[in-house]
Amino acid sequence: MPEAKLTLTSMLDTFTVLLIFLLQMYSTEGQLISPSKYLTLPKSNVEKPAEVGLDLIVSKNIILVNHAKVVAMDDVFANRPEVVENGIITPLKERLLYFSAQAKKMEVDYGVKFSGKVVIQGDLDLPYAELVKVMRTCGLSEYPNMRLVVYRQSD
Amino acid sequence: MAFKPSLRRHHKEVSTELNLNPMLDMMTVLIPLLLANAQFARIGEIELNLPPAASGVAQGAAALPKEEQRTLDLVVSITDQGIYISSALSAPEASPNRKPTITIRAGGDYDYQALSQQLYEIKKKAGNNFADPESIVIQAEPKIRYQILVSAMDAARSIRLGEKTVSLFPNVSLSAGVI
Repeated sequence: MPEAKLTLTSMLDTFTVLLIFLLQMYSTEGQLISPSKYLTLPKSNVEKPAEVGLDLIVSKNIILVNHAKVVAMDDVFANRPEVVENGIITPLKERLLYFSAQAKKMEVDYGVKFSGKVVIQGDLDLPYAELVKVMRTCGLSEYPNMRLVVYRQSD
Repeated sequence: MAFKPSLRRHHKEVSTELNLNPMLDMMTVLIPLLLANAQFARIGEIELNLPPAASGVAQGAAALPKEEQRTLDLVVSITDQGIYISSALSAPEASPNRKPTITIRAGGDYDYQALSQQLYEIKKKAGNNFADPESIVIQAEPKIRYQILVSAMDAARSIRLGEKTVSLFPNVSLSAGVI
């Protein structure tokens, strides 16, 4: 029986190119923010790439901070008094203050600077009134540096 | 005594082949991993810098405009009728039935290009006469969708004139005065 041999050289070439391409994409873009699957981000022609910060997701149904559920959007929409007080979302404020206290402790213990930066991922159908509530809450909870996450599209 | 030839010369060439199996193994693991995690959509962010609320009083007093510093106070209001623009150059009329500066299109979408164009005119007219040549305040009705707001911010940030992009009012603030 003759010995059969696979030529793997071409496949290896392709793999090497792919690997380098993928690794390079990682190093330039960073893997800092992965878009949440519960929402569609709005599109914008902004050039600035996204940075790290406290992750705040305002999806169609719930608000999440660092991927943990904080409050249901229905309660926010309905302005239920135990949730929304004076235009401020109380559970969100508590959660943000908890994270800012932790971050400040980190600043004291390890010298990681607390920048008060929060990265807001909002659904594109979010009404302005709810966005303002979220942003006002952030501003009053020691996170005044708000960034809105968008899909970049060049026109 | 017979001459003993060097043994080296008679070495047979051994054909060696690189053992690529470990490399292939690694590649087949790494490539699916990287591909699965890769983002092909580019993500960006819009910067909004607001003064911290806690020190609002002290900062507010310090930031009061001086007599001689005139401010442009450019405000873009998005309503379901269209977009209103007001500034120190064009004071809004008092009548409540004032038409929007840019009326909404028939399909219900906004004319962002017209907005950019209008803001460009204002930018040209304002020149360097004001203390806040790059600031704009955007406000909207409660029902306005987030995407519309982001698009309006885009229109306010820069305008594309032919090949080059001209910066308009990159310091965007949001106002919640309508609520």
